[in-house]
Amino acid sequence: MRSPYFLLLSGTVARAIVAAEAPRPRGVGPEFAKYYKDSETFTCISAPSIHLSVARLNDDFCDCPDGSDEPGTSACAHLSPLSPAFLGSTPSDDLDTTTALPGFYCKNKGHHPSYVPFTVVNDGVCDYEFCCDGSDEWARVGGVKCEDRCKEIGKEWKKQDEQRQKSLSNAAKRRKEIVADAERLRKEVEDRLQSLRTEIQGGEMKVKALESDLAEAERQERSKVVRSPKELSKMGLLAQLAKDRTEELRESLVEVRVQRDTGKERIAELEGILSTFKEEYNPNFNDEGVKRAVRSWEEYAARDKPALGDDAHDRDLDEIAKPDGETGAIKWSEWEEPEESDVGVLYKFAAYLPTTVRDWLDQKLRDFRVILVDNGILAATHSPDGESKGLADARNALKAAQDSLNENNKQLNTHQEDLDKDYGADDVFRALKGQCVSKDSGEYTYELCWLDKTKQKSKKGGSQTVMGNFVSVERILVDDEVPPDGKGLGSGERVALRYGNGQHCWNGPNRSTLVVLACAEKDEVWKVTEEEKCVYRMEVGTPAVCGVGEKREERPKDEL
Amino acid sequence: MFPAQGWGQLLPLLLVFCLFRSAFTVKHEGFKTCEQSGFCKRNRAYADNVATLGNSWTSPYTLFSKSLKIDNGYITATLLKSLGEGVQSVELSLMITFLQSGAARITVDEKKRRQGEIELRHGSQARKERYDEASKWAIVGGEKLDKSAKADTSSKETVVNYGPNNRYRAVISHSPFSIDFFRDDQLHVKLNGKGLMNMEQWRPKVEKPDIKEGEDSKEEEQSVEQGEDESTWWEETFGGNTDSKPRGPESVGLDITFPGYEHVYGIPGHASSLSLKQTRGGSDAYEQPYRLYNSDVFEYEMDSPMTLYGAIPFMQAHRKDSTVGVFWLNAAETWIDIVKRKVSSNPLSLGIGGKTDTETHWFSESGLLDVFVFLGPTPKDVISQYSELTGYTQLPQQFAIAYHQCRWNYVTDEDVRDVDKKMDRARIPYDVIWLDIEYTDGKKYFTWDAHTFPDPLGMEKQLDSHDRKLVVIIDPHIKNEGNYLVVDELKSKSFGVKNKDNNLYEGWCWPGSSHWVDCFNPAALEWWKSLFTYSSFTGTAANTFVWNDMNEPSVFNGPETTMPKDNIHHGNWEHRDVHNINGMTFVNATYHALLAREPPASRRRPFVLTRSYYSGSQRLGAMWTGDNQAEWSHLAASIPMILTQNIAGFPFAGADVGGFFGNPSKELLTRWYQAGAFYPFFRGHAHIDTRRREPYLAGEPYTFIITQALRLRYQLLPAWYTAFHAASVSGVPILQPHYYVHPSDEAAFAIEDQFYLGSTGLLAKPVVTEGAETVSIYLPPGETYYDYFTYSTHVGSGSTIAIPAPLDKIPLLMKAGHIFPRKDRPRRSSGLMRWDPYTLIIALGSNGEAEGDLYVDDGESYDYEDGAYIHRHFSFSSSTLKSSDLSADTDMSKPSKKRKAYLTAMTAVRVEKMVVIGAPMEWKGRSEVKVEEQGAKQTRTVEMKWFQGDGGAANWAVIRDPGMEIGKGWTVKF
Repeated sequence: MRSPYFLLLSGTVARAIVAAEAPRPRGVGPEFAKYYKDSETFTCISAPSIHLSVARLNDDFCDCPDGSDEPGTSACAHLSPLSPAFLGSTPSDDLDTTTALPGFYCKNKGHHPSYVPFTVVNDGVCDYEFCCDGSDEWARVGGVKCEDRCKEIGKEWKKQDEQRQKSLSNAAKRRKEIVADAERLRKEVEDRLQSLRTEIQGGEMKVKALESDLAEAERQERSKVVRSPKELSKMGLLAQLAKDRTEELRESLVEVRVQRDTGKERIAELEGILSTFKEEYNPNFNDEGVKRAVRSWEEYAARDKPALGDDAHDRDLDEIAKPDGETGAIKWSEWEEPEESDVGVLYKFAAYLPTTVRDWLDQKLRDFRVILVDNGILAATHSPDGESKGLADARNALKAAQDSLNENNKQLNTHQEDLDKDYGADDVFRALKGQCVSKDSGEYTYELCWLDKTKQKSKKGGSQTVMGNFVSVERILVDDEVPPDGKGLGSGERVALRYGNGQHCWNGPNRSTLVVLACAEKDEVWKVTEEEKCVYRMEVGTPAVCGVGEKREERPKDEL
Repeated sequence: MFPAQGWGQLLPLLLVFCLFRSAFTVKHEGFKTCEQSGFCKRNRAYADNVATLGNSWTSPYTLFSKSLKIDNGYITATLLKSLGEGVQSVELSLMITFLQSGAARITVDEKKRRQGEIELRHGSQARKERYDEASKWAIVGGEKLDKSAKADTSSKETVVNYGPNNRYRAVISHSPFSIDFFRDDQLHVKLNGKGLMNMEQWRPKVEKPDIKEGEDSKEEEQSVEQGEDESTWWEETFGGNTDSKPRGPESVGLDITFPGYEHVYGIPGHASSLSLKQTRGGSDAYEQPYRLYNSDVFEYEMDSPMTLYGAIPFMQAHRKDSTVGVFWLNAAETWIDIVKRKVSSNPLSLGIGGKTDTETHWFSESGLLDVFVFLGPTPKDVISQYSELTGYTQLPQQFAIAYHQCRWNYVTDEDVRDVDKKMDRARIPYDVIWLDIEYTDGKKYFTWDAHTFPDPLGMEKQLDSHDRKLVVIIDPHIKNEGNYLVVDELKSKSFGVKNKDNNLYEGWCWPGSSHWVDCFNPAALEWWKSLFTYSSFTGTAANTFVWNDMNEPSVFNGPETTMPKDNIHHGNWEHRDVHNINGMTFVNATYHALLAREPPASRRRPFVLTRSYYSGSQRLGAMWTGDNQAEWSHLAASIPMILTQNIAGFPFAGADVGGFFGNPSKELLTRWYQAGAFYPFFRGHAHIDTRRREPYLAGEPYTFIITQALRLRYQLLPAWYTAFHAASVSGVPILQPHYYVHPSDEAAFAIEDQFYLGSTGLLAKPVVTEGAETVSIYLPPGETYYDYFTYSTHVGSGSTIAIPAPLDKIPLLMKAGHIFPRKDRPRRSSGLMRWDPYTLIIALGSNGEAEGDLYVDDGESYDYEDGAYIHRHFSFSSSTLKSSDLSADTDMSKPSKKRKAYLTAMTAVRVEKMVVIGAPMEWKGRSEVKVEEQGAKQTRTVEMKWFQGDGGAANWAVIRDPGMEIGKGWTVKF
C-alpha cells in the first residue's frame, strides 16, 4: 500500500491521461507527444516490442528499457551509463537502453519550457533555475511545495534579455570599430611592406654596384706589390700566429681560472647553505617542494664529485699562466727571424739583371702574381701598413649599403610575419594588442594585456608576477552556465588566448594562463581561477569575439 | 665495470651507500626506535635477561595472601615486589574486578605514590600519583560487577569462576604472581606467565659523586641496584630535546600469552598487516616492537610497526572457533612485542593439539598497570565486550557516510560554489565539501580570510539548497598573535597546556608560534563550546561541521613532532601520562561544542573527523589514516588498516581517496574511488601542490567509471546506514574481515584484502594493483556467491578463484542467504534520496532461505532515541518473504509522538522492486506473488518475472512494484 496521498496523485495522472487528446502525460515534451497518443497501449519508444497498458505510464515504476514509460517521474532516472551496471526487469543485452527522452519537460508557462534531468524530479527541491513552474516537484515529497514562479522569473529574464540584446548589439557595433582599427593597422603594415620592397630593390642594385667598385679597388691594390720591410718566413708566420694565439689562450686561462675560483666559492657556499638546510628543515611542514629539494640534494651529495682540481694541478696552471719571456718555456724571438721568402729570392735574382730587363720582368712577375693570387694559388700578402684609403672607402661603402639592405630585409620579414600571424578572425586582436584590462579579485589584482602578458599582483604587497606570455589564438569547447547578468562563457566553441611560460612557480611549473573569451559590450575580466597549481584560467568578455563562431545560448541551459 | 684498484676506488662507493641509507631512513630520524626510548630499552632488556636465565628466573612479584579480600565481583590484595634479600619490598595494590559482560580487569597501582610519599625532582609541579584517569576518558559503560563470580582461595592460589554460566575461570597464583584465564576448562590467556611483569617503583636519584646525602637510600640503592644501568632513568635527550623526567623511571610492563593462538589482530594505528607480525625474530619479523605514541608522521612508510596518529591498545587473538582479547588501558607511550612460538606439545594448553603460542609483551612509560581480559568465544563477543566498555560508534548523520569532496584547498567561496555546480552538471552525487586551513585569516581558527571567503554564508546556503554540508578545519593550536580574541582568552583564562615550569607552553605549528588548548580542563571545554556558537564563529551555519586535525598534538618544533612529555595538563598531570588520550579530548570538546550549537530540543548529531584517536574516540566521529600517498602501495595498505580499525571498535574509518601526497594516475584514481566506495568514511582529498582531481576532471572513461562507483555507494547507502546502526548498538564491525565472518576457516585467518559489508553478505575485493584484468578472491568451502552485477555464480572451495576485474568493474559478490536494501534512484545528495522507494535484493541460499535487516531514521536528529526510526528484519523461507519489526519493545508498545509522526511521514516510502537471485526453476512460468500487508483487508497480487541466467549466471526473478510500505509488517508469498 502506498500512502493515500501518493495514490491520489497517481490517480490524478491516470485520469488526466484517460481524459485524452489534449494534455500530454506529465513530463512529455511536445516533440514526443506522438508516442503518447494511444489511449490504451503504450509502446516503449526504442523497444517497439514492448507494449504496456497506459496505466503503467508514469506509475513510478520503470518498465521500458529506454525509460520512455516514465516521462514524469524519477523511476527511470538510473538508466544512464553513469549508474552501476545492473540486471533488472529485462535482460539488457538485446534491447536499446539509451534513454529515449531528454528529461522531464517543464512547461514553464510565461517563460521558456525546459527539460530537467529525471534525477531531480520529486527529490524535494524546487529547481526554479530550470523549472520555474515548480512542476518537477509534483508529488510534494516530504511536504515540499513549489509554487509556479514563471511569471516573475520570466519577466526578470525578459528584462535582462533585453539588456543583453542591447548590450550585444552595442558589442557588435564596437566590434566593427575594432575591426576597422585593425584593418587600418593592417593597411599601415602592408604599405610599409610595399615601400620596404622598393627600398630593398634599390638597395640591392646599390650593393651590386659597390661590389664591383670594391673588386676593382682590390685589384688595383693587389697589383701594388710592395716588398714588405720584414717579410717573414712561413715558419716565422706560424710562430707569430702561435705566439698571438698562445697569448690569447693564456689570457683566457687566467680569466677562466678567476671565474672558476669564484664559481668554486659559490658552490661551496651553496652546498653549505643546502647542508644546513637539510639539517635544519622541519619535515613536518609537509612541504613537498622542500622535501624534493632535500632529496635532490642528498642524491647530489651522494654522487661521486668531479675533481675540482688539486694543488698540483693548480701549480701546473700557475706555470702555464706565466708569460713566455726570456725565461719562459718558449723563446718566440728565436722563431720569428725573417727567412728568405720565395718572393725574396726573386728579388735577389733580379738584382743581377739589367734595369730594362728588370722592369719587364718586374711587370711580368706582377701580372703573374696577380694571376696566381686571383686563382687562389698564392696568398695575397697584406702589408702591415694597411690598405689604401680608396680600397677602405670602397669597402665601407659596400658595408653600409649591405647593412641597410639587411635591415630592410629584416623589417620586411618582421612585417611579413606580423601580417601572416593569427590575430584572430578579421585580424581583430591587431587593434587590441598591448592594451590591458585588469580585475580585482580577492587577494589579487589580475591584468590581461592583449597578446602580450597576463599578470597578477597581490594586495598583500609584493611585486607583479607574470602569469604567462602570449603564445597563440585558439578555439576551445566550453560548457558553462551563463549567469543572469550575461557575464559567463555559456556553451559551445569559444576563442581562447593561450599564454605560456610565465614566471616559475615554487613547487610547480612555469605559470600559464588560458584566456577564454566571450562576447560582451566592453573588455572585462569576469573571473580568474587557478585550475591547478599555477595554471590559470581567465574568463573575459570582449566585443572582439562577438559573432565569431560562438553561438550564445538563447536562454539558460535546459538541463543542469 | 669497476676494476678493483684498492680502497681508493671503494671509498666513494661506500660513501654513496651511506648517504643513500640515510636518505632512506630520513623519516625515522624524527622518531624514536626502541633503543632510543629508555623504558622500551629497559623492558626489552628485562625480557632478554629473563630469557637468558630460563628456568632459574623467578618473577619478583608475590601476592601477599593475608591481604587478600574477596567481595562480590572483585578481589583486592597487596602485591609485593621483592628487591632482594634484606631489602624492604615495594608495596603495590592489586584489584581484580569481574564484570557482568564477562570481562575481567586487573589493576595494579604503586602505594607509595598513591599516598604521595615521594619527591619529584626539579621542583616539578606534576602529580605524584600514577595517572589513574585514563578510564575516565576511555570507559563509559560495562562496569557493573559480576556478583555471581565465585572465588576459592588457598595459600597458593585463588580461583574465581565467573562470566556467563560461570564458563570462565581465573586462576591467580600467589607466588610468583600470575593469572591464567580459562574458558570451558581450556586455557586461553596467561598474564605474567613468562615473568616479564615489571612495575618500576619510584626511587630517589642518587648523585654518585655526592656521598653524604641520603645515606640510607644510598645503601639500599647500592645493595639492590648495583650494576644496574641507570643511563635511561633520569633525563633523556632526543633530537635536541631533553625530557626532565621529574619522577625518574616509572614504566609498567607485562607479558600476555595466548596459548594455541597463532593470529593476533588489532592495536591500530599502524601501516601494517591485519594479522600482526612478530617483532623479535622469526620469519618476516619486524625489528621494532609495535609502538603506540600518537604522532604526526610525515610520509609514513608501508609495512611497519612504527607509530602513527592514533592508538587503540586492544588486541584480539584468534584460532579456530575461538577468539579472546585484551585491552591495555594506558595513555602513555606504549610498545608491544610479539613472539609466535611453535610448541610441539604444550603441557599448558590442555588438550589443544600443541601448535603455536602467541606471546605478547606490553610496556608503557608511566601510569597504572590496567588490563582487561575478554574470553570470547567469538570475535563478535570480544568486540562487543570491548565496545560496551569504551562505547559504541556514534550513529552518524546520513550525509557523513556519503561521499566527501575535499582538497587542500578550495581557495575561495566562489571556488566551492563552482565545484558544487560542476558536480551537479556532471551528475556526480556528493554530500560534503571541505575546507582545509587556507580558509582562515592567517591560520587563525574561527576566522575567515576576508579576501578569499567574503561570503561564507552565501556559499553554505548554496550547498544547503541540495542538502549538502560544509566541513571546516579547526586545529588545537591557537595562533599566538595580537588582536586575536581566541588566543587572548586562552591566555587570560589560562586554558592552554603548560610547560614543565608551569608557564603557558608555546610551540610551532601551521600559524607559527602557537598555544594549545587543554581539553582536559572542564572550564576550557565550556569555553570551547562558546567559540562555536553561530554568533561567535560567524560565517558558519547549521550545515557546517568540523574537522579536527593535528591533534596528536602535532608540534613542528617539539620532540618527535609533538609536545614535550614534561608539559603539564589540567590536574597537574604530565603530558607523558596522557599523551595518547590528548587527541580524543580535543575531539570530545569539539563534539560537545557542535552539539551545543542548537537548543536541546532540536539537537542534531555532530560530525567531527579526527586524525588522532584512542579507545573511545569511536563515540565522537570518524577517523582517517592520515597523510598517505598517491601510490598503489598506499591504496593496498588502506584496506588492512581500515579492517584493523573495524575490528578494534572504531569502524568509522577511511583513507584519503586518490592519495594525499602526489598525483595519482587516472587508473589509480579510478581504482581508489572503487575501493573508497567501500570505506566506511569516504573522502577524496589532495595536497595543495597536487593537480586538481575532482571526479569530473578525469575525462572518459575514467569519470564515467568513478561516477558509477560513487553511485554504487549511494545505491547501497541504506545497507551502509543499517551497518552503522548495528555498530552503534553492539560494536559489530562495519567492514568485516574473513576471520570475523568465518571463524572456523583456519586457512584464511590472515586474509586482509577482502571483506564483507556489515551483515549484508556483500563481499568486496577492491583492485589495488595496476593494470589488473582479474582478481583472485578467496571463497570459503561450501558457500555460494553471486556476482553483484551479472549474477554469475561461484561456489567456494576454500581456495581463490579468479574473477574478472577490468577497470570498469568492482569485484563485488553477494553471499547467498542474505537480503539487503538499496535505493536505486540517483540523486544529487543522500539527503535528496530520503523519500525514494527501496529495492530489496534477496540472494537465496541453497536451502532457499535468506535474511537481512534495514534500519532507517531521519538521518540527522536524535529523534531515534524517542523511537522515531524503522528497524525491520527480512527473512525468506518456505517461499515466503517476511518483514518483521526489530524496534525496541517499549517503542512498539508505547510509541512516542515523535515515533508516530515519523512513521506517518514514512508511509510515503515503499518497496518499489524486489530482485530474487538464485530464484528456483519452479518459479519459471509464474507471473505473480501475493502480498499481504499488516492492517490491509485483502491480499494483493503483484507481477513477478522469472529470468533464466545464462553463461553460469543464477536465475533471477523481479517483483514489479510490490508497493509495501517500508515501515510496515508484510509477507510476500512466492
